[in-house]
Amino acid sequence: MLDFQFFIEVLVGGLLSGLMYSLVALGFVLIYKASGVFNFAQGAMVFFAVLSFVGFMELGLPFWGALPVTVVLMVIVGMATERFVLRPLVNQNENTLLMATIGLAFVIEGVAQMVWGVDVRRLDLGIKDEPISWLADKTGVFVSQLDITAGVVAGVMVAALGLLFSRTKVGRGLRAVADDPAAALSIGIPLKHIWMLVWAAAGVVALVAGMLWGARSGVQFALVLLALKALPVLIIGGFTSVPGVIVAGLIVGGSEKLAEVYIGPSFGGGIEGWFPYMLAVLFLLIRPEGLFGEKIIRRV
Amino acid sequence: MMDMTPLQISERGFAIGQPILELNEISLRFGGVKALTSISFDVRQHEVRAIIGPNGAGKSSMLNVINGIYRPQEGSINYQGKPLANMTPTRAARMGISRTFQNIALFKGMSVLDNLMAGRYLRTHAGFLEVALQLPRARREENENREAVEEIIEFLEIEHIRKTPVARLPYGLQKRVELGRALAAEPKILLLDEPMAGMNIEEKQDMCRFILDVNDHYGTTVVLIEHDMGVVMDISDRVVVLDYGKKIGDGTPNEVRSNQDVIDAYLGVAH
Amino acid sequence: MVIDNVETDTFSKFLIHHSKTRGEHPAIREKSRGIWRTTTWRGLADEAGSLACALHAKGLQRGGHVAFVGDNRPRLYVAMCATHWLGAVTVPLYRDATAKEMLSPIQSAEVTHIFAEDQEQVDKLLEILPQCPSIRFIVYDKDRGMRHYKQPQVISYEELLRQGREAEPLKRDFLQAEINRGAGQDVASVFFTADETGLAKGVVLTHSALISRARAAASVDDLNDADVALAYLPPAWIGQNLFSYVQPMIVGYCVCCPESAETMLADLREIGPTYFLAPPRVLESIVTQASIRMEGASGWRRGLYKSSMAMARWLGPRILSGEGVFIGFRPFYALGNLLVYAPLRGVLGMSRVRVAYTFGENVSPKVFMFFRSIGINLKQLYGSAESGFFVAMQRNGEVKPDTVGKPVEGVEVKFTPECEILVRSPGLFREYHNDTQATALAIRDGWLHTGDAGYLDDDGHLRVVDRLQNVGALHDGTLFTPKPLENRIKASPYIAEAVVFGDGRDTVCALIDIDAAAIGNWADKKNISYTGHADLASRDEVYALVADEIAKMSAQLASDPVLANAQVRRFVILHKELDPEDGMLTHMGAVRRDVVSKRYKALVEAMYEGHSSVNIDAETSDFIIRDVPTLTPMQSKRAA
Repeated sequence: MLDFQFFIEVLVGGLLSGLMYSLVALGFVLIYKASGVFNFAQGAMVFFAVLSFVGFMELGLPFWGALPVTVVLMVIVGMATERFVLRPLVNQNENTLLMATIGLAFVIEGVAQMVWGVDVRRLDLGIKDEPISWLADKTGVFVSQLDITAGVVAGVMVAALGLLFSRTKVGRGLRAVADDPAAALSIGIPLKHIWMLVWAAAGVVALVAGMLWGARSGVQFALVLLALKALPVLIIGGFTSVPGVIVAGLIVGGSEKLAEVYIGPSFGGGIEGWFPYMLAVLFLLIRPEGLFGEKIIRRV
Repeated sequence: MMDMTPLQISERGFAIGQPILELNEISLRFGGVKALTSISFDVRQHEVRAIIGPNGAGKSSMLNVINGIYRPQEGSINYQGKPLANMTPTRAARMGISRTFQNIALFKGMSVLDNLMAGRYLRTHAGFLEVALQLPRARREENENREAVEEIIEFLEIEHIRKTPVARLPYGLQKRVELGRALAAEPKILLLDEPMAGMNIEEKQDMCRFILDVNDHYGTTVVLIEHDMGVVMDISDRVVVLDYGKKIGDGTPNEVRSNQDVIDAYLGVAH
Repeated sequence: MVIDNVETDTFSKFLIHHSKTRGEHPAIREKSRGIWRTTTWRGLADEAGSLACALHAKGLQRGGHVAFVGDNRPRLYVAMCATHWLGAVTVPLYRDATAKEMLSPIQSAEVTHIFAEDQEQVDKLLEILPQCPSIRFIVYDKDRGMRHYKQPQVISYEELLRQGREAEPLKRDFLQAEINRGAGQDVASVFFTADETGLAKGVVLTHSALISRARAAASVDDLNDADVALAYLPPAWIGQNLFSYVQPMIVGYCVCCPESAETMLADLREIGPTYFLAPPRVLESIVTQASIRMEGASGWRRGLYKSSMAMARWLGPRILSGEGVFIGFRPFYALGNLLVYAPLRGVLGMSRVRVAYTFGENVSPKVFMFFRSIGINLKQLYGSAESGFFVAMQRNGEVKPDTVGKPVEGVEVKFTPECEILVRSPGLFREYHNDTQATALAIRDGWLHTGDAGYLDDDGHLRVVDRLQNVGALHDGTLFTPKPLENRIKASPYIAEAVVFGDGRDTVCALIDIDAAAIGNWADKKNISYTGHADLASRDEVYALVADEIAKMSAQLASDPVLANAQVRRFVILHKELDPEDGMLTHMGAVRRDVVSKRYKALVEAMYEGHSSVNIDAETSDFIIRDVPTLTPMQSKRAA
């Protein structure tokens, strides 16, 4: 019985962190869908966003003051990126765009540290990283309040974006733009607005992801590496699928924690670090388009 | 000015009216290369107007000027009597100008239905919350859009491929779907860039029938580009002939056919 | 739930009855603009009544003839109801008929009013209008392209209905009186059917003849108002007319009209009919499609399919017929059902099919058993327009692949010494329209001479062999009946049609029409490139394939000492598919033997003269003639 409770704890913890992976990955999906670019700067944006948020709070803004200010800032950063980095590169090939985002990542990281300094900071969202007592009493399963909150916030965010992009006008426009920009223009879809909107959304997503991760493991440069964690999620879920990255995030989160706890010891631990990548490679072999990715159809 | 007598005596759904689009002395250059040289013509409401000419005559450039993709260095465009400046494709779409492309530009990953629904983009207004909460307007709008699209699906006889991803369709059907998407926006003017290119005889006949039916049934003004003269002469009310970026003929198919410049520049070469 | 009421002897009386007793039940459903739209029985009766008012005002007389040219649409059936309401006669015509083909039925029946589906049909009718002075009105359904038609005879269905709805409130008594005036002996419909030579004859059927047959057939399968049928075959064909007009009238079930011919299969899946009618050609194409699909499937799937189907062929029919099957086998069939048969039924849109019918005399046993083996209760029936369609039907639990079942209630069957089937039944037609000579030839002393050869087997099941005129003998005296041979040959997915010859000859030869889709698919897999049908049809590889398929069939015959000599020795593949437009096929897709043999006479002669190729006209390339290896009874025994 105890074993089972432990299993549940590990699994729930894994799934919750998985949702947060999904959130980071979602930032990639948005950009990829809209402009066909793998945005290397997404990790840097996460770092920049939460660092700015903490910075504003240090400057004396309350939580509810710092949040909108940072949201506005991220919207501006997103739009500016689109306007000044990507738009001039329209119709360039994918490699050029990829290099541009790598460069952008360095710039953002640099600016963030220049403005806000390089110290590791603590972010206190006022939610304790302690087990929920009534849940622990009732079932004996220990799940952190912070984990649950983070999971719920990530879940809501993912659901809202999912809805936005599948059912609304903007979402349809985005799909159309991603598929064929010229055709999208011809039916009156304002390409530039859509791109800006998407980058702004990616900025906001980055902020939320940064806040959740920052509250857990401190606001530090290592957040940039989250981008790497999102990679297996993207591969498994498919670069273009919102539901795909949600499921893939859960798979990665759940399986890496379980693997770490149950088969980790026989490898001497540290399995968490590479297990998701192994899973991703496996998927690449079996389903290269990802779980829910659109099958690549080419007429011969 | 050209004379304003009705051009066709034969009956049709909507009588040809006043000019809806007037192009005056349009010149377009790419760097030093002249693509169009002071071209003027008009398009009247409810007519089928063809722009023909050999390859490289500037037909596509002309269409792209009307559509707002290119901005001419000289000349002016009047649309519904008002001068147009700073045209962009999005603005053109808003003003009721829809188009198709020579090399089919469809949303390949989507189904036929979704492609046509995308064509309703400008007729969708419900915001994020309305959709999320399924408020009446969002629902009504969705139903209206679907109904309009279904009417077009029936009109173009593509019921059987409604749910098929367009990438799986043969070329001729893709062209028809693209026409459908342009129609979904309920345009005033339909710009067709070589609608019959690459088709076999049967597909061409079908396409001609659909173009005429659209014009007849919805009263849509049609501007189409073709280099295949035969088909165009049968379905157009008036024809503009371009050659090397210059206008060398303009009039009814019969007038154009007997125009010596056209015969020299075009017919003489092509046939 | 068959309504057995002495009072209800015409379709109009049934219509009123349904409108009163199940007014809100669906009568007709149609998929239009992506949505299934329902007409209730009350709605149907109301619209038919209004339309009848308008038709009366437009001069339709009791006993007058109304033609219908169009696809299965609710409006077509409403118009039929309205026609019968006024005691007029429905004359459904094939919509793919040419203007010329429509001329003679319209002239001979002196049709006064015509319901035409769309512009295409109206154009054809206007073309022959000058030769048809009897036509007073042409009513069109779809208004697309019709805006400019100013002929005084042309009117839209909508306009006609509007006029009818306006007049209806003042005409209620008249409508009631019109219904009361009708009697079972009134003529209900004239079906124009072409005989083997392509000559059209109008088969006149009364209300009571149709109603009696529909009643008898409905009781065989216990049809009730919860049943659903799909109307997808030409309404001009008596079979579709019975399934989508006559039987629903008797039983009260719902008829569904698909959106278009292309969406038929998708609509079929959505609707899930319980009662289904399919000519052999449709069944053959379904089997071919299924096998093409499975050819394209990955290895293990194909293996699963093949082994499951082998088991299905063995167990399925016995389980379906309620015969005893060793209890230990059942779990295997259940597993196959779960993995293969049920999904297959779903894909075919036949998950809910309770009863399905096809024509016994034309279906190949292999195709027939395919459906039964996967648990679809497909049965055979026998009949024609002249005999009221339902002459013999297979009953549940008594299905034999080579008979068409026992005669239906009320039908008497006897045989001439030449084995011609004679039928006496309350469902017999009254006469050929305006052709007393032909009528007298067909009905003698109350017995219909069907022109089919057959016999009753020991269980009292009717076995139909072939058309009597086709039955012959080879030189050596071997009985030669082309149809059973042809049915066996075209069971091959690669062969669409076969026409065999042998009467008065030494050997049997065949003209083969390949299934271009299946062979094209096969060629793609073999990396054989081809330019078109004609190219494919003259390929050595294709000849080898077809020879192989025919040889397989021959092997079955060889074991029978009587039929061993009837194995096909030589064949030619036709360059062009047999087409109703060339008159080679009927509108229902059956081969017109006489037309085909006349057209390809030179080919047939060349086969018997031993040539290896022949040219019949300068425009086409040579036809290649190939031999098929045959087996003697001895060899076949050894092989077995």
